[in-house]
Amino acid sequence: MTVDTLALNNAFVEDYLKRFVQEELHTSGFTEACIALSGGLDSALVLKLAVDALGADHVHAIFLPYKISSAESKRDVRTMFEFCGIPWQELDISGMADAYLALQPGIDRLRTGNLLARLRMAVIFDQSKKENALVVGTSNKSELLVGYSTWYGDMACAIMPIGDLYKTQVRSLARHIGLPQQVIAKPPSADLWAGQTDEGEIGVSYETLDQVLYLLVDQRCSSAEVISEGFDLDLVQRVERKILTSQFKRVPPPIAKLSQRTVGTDFLYPRDWRK
Amino acid sequence: MTYTVALAQVNPACGDLEYNVKMHIDQTERALEAGAGLIVFPELSLTGYTLKDQTLDVMRPADCPEFAGLRELSRHIAICAGFVEEGEDGIPYNSAFFMDAGEVRHVHRKMYLPTHGMFEELKFLGRGRELSVFDTRFGRTGIVICRDLFHPLEVSTMAALGVELLLAPSAMPARGFGGEELGIEQTVGLALGSASTFLGMFVVYVNRVGFDDGLGFYGGSALSDPIGGITVSAPRFEAVQLLGTVDTSHIARHRYQLPIRREEDLEIIRHALETRRNS
Repeated sequence: MTVDTLALNNAFVEDYLKRFVQEELHTSGFTEACIALSGGLDSALVLKLAVDALGADHVHAIFLPYKISSAESKRDVRTMFEFCGIPWQELDISGMADAYLALQPGIDRLRTGNLLARLRMAVIFDQSKKENALVVGTSNKSELLVGYSTWYGDMACAIMPIGDLYKTQVRSLARHIGLPQQVIAKPPSADLWAGQTDEGEIGVSYETLDQVLYLLVDQRCSSAEVISEGFDLDLVQRVERKILTSQFKRVPPPIAKLSQRTVGTDFLYPRDWRK
Repeated sequence: MTYTVALAQVNPACGDLEYNVKMHIDQTERALEAGAGLIVFPELSLTGYTLKDQTLDVMRPADCPEFAGLRELSRHIAICAGFVEEGEDGIPYNSAFFMDAGEVRHVHRKMYLPTHGMFEELKFLGRGRELSVFDTRFGRTGIVICRDLFHPLEVSTMAALGVELLLAPSAMPARGFGGEELGIEQTVGLALGSASTFLGMFVVYVNRVGFDDGLGFYGGSALSDPIGGITVSAPRFEAVQLLGTVDTSHIARHRYQLPIRREEDLEIIRHALETRRNS
């Protein structure tokens, strides 16, 4: 097992994901997409895919900084707006965030981070209503599996084009598509506080994490088998725990079943249901 | 005998019978104008694939009024299309009909309904229990629906029963994006090659395109010829109609060169099964 095991035919994937964005929107009766840009690679890649799939005029991207958002984030968002040929849109969420934070003395940074993610969600969904658009999500498979995302925050969206791509696959696809190097090369960060990086928080590089996830999830290996591939016992156990403890984020909330037909249990229709 | 077959690699609308019937009529008229004698559509082409509880709303008997336009067209061109069949037992089946000369000549009920991972067919649909072998003006014909094609015993038995033309309507989702072709394409290629090379059959494989709730169907429809190999190969993901030529003389010539069918002896299989049952 090496990181090359995760390599994909990027030309196939690019074509497939553009078609996915186009068709999922059109089947739902929409032509417009809304995307919140963070300055990171995931949202940059989703923006480019959506612009290529729908045309720049149909993609409404917006940067939603908080007062401590890094200067690099703003610079990289600007680069992506220019790269995709779409007009600059920014809405600073500091005012609405601070109004609440002032009422919560002693709030820790995890709660603050979640709050910022959920305020951005509220804004992007409101913007999508204004533009008659669907919100296109930017979560990748690595973060979905370990739960490194905010429930009903950055996870909230109508469709998730890159939700089945590990972070290393996202990077590879971004290189194939030719996104600006500065966006590809920067350390992944949720930018919820100064100096935060994904890999610092998760405690392992994405290259290693993705291989462990691939073995555990895609190959259905036992933890003993993953360790026999040369991965650290403590790491494998930590990853397994993260998958388990974040399961609630990946499923709709359970509904107490009473009737013959319960939403989600035996009232079953495709998302693209049309009568 | 030589005839033209049209491979209708379409994107059905899930649950929208009216839209899909109209699309089938348009496709069939196009094929007719192009001189085709037979048109083949994908699995569940008249209803869409990921129906879930819509199954109950769209199930119809093959001779239902909604399909009258297609039956009428079949006076001029044979049509194989997929639908949810309302069985005489009231059970919905994943079926494909073969219409010719203005009437439904045969209905095949899918026998192997995948119910694992992303597939949940047996949750909503009944299982067919009969091999599909019937005579048409194109020779002895069989239908396998999607997963049926991956059961070599079923396909081999059909060949032993004389099938020369195998129609394989499908709804195969794309997966396996690591190589020069999709993983699922390689699997289908093995099945097509095996049916044509070892069993001497023409196979008309027609797979749909489009997305149902994140499942992306890859297309890649093909005509597999016992002598010529893959003679028609549709692009991935694009809705297209392609034409191919079937020269039935290839069947006898290939089977003479590689007489697997002549050697085949189903009695050996029957004996093995009976011995095992009695042991």
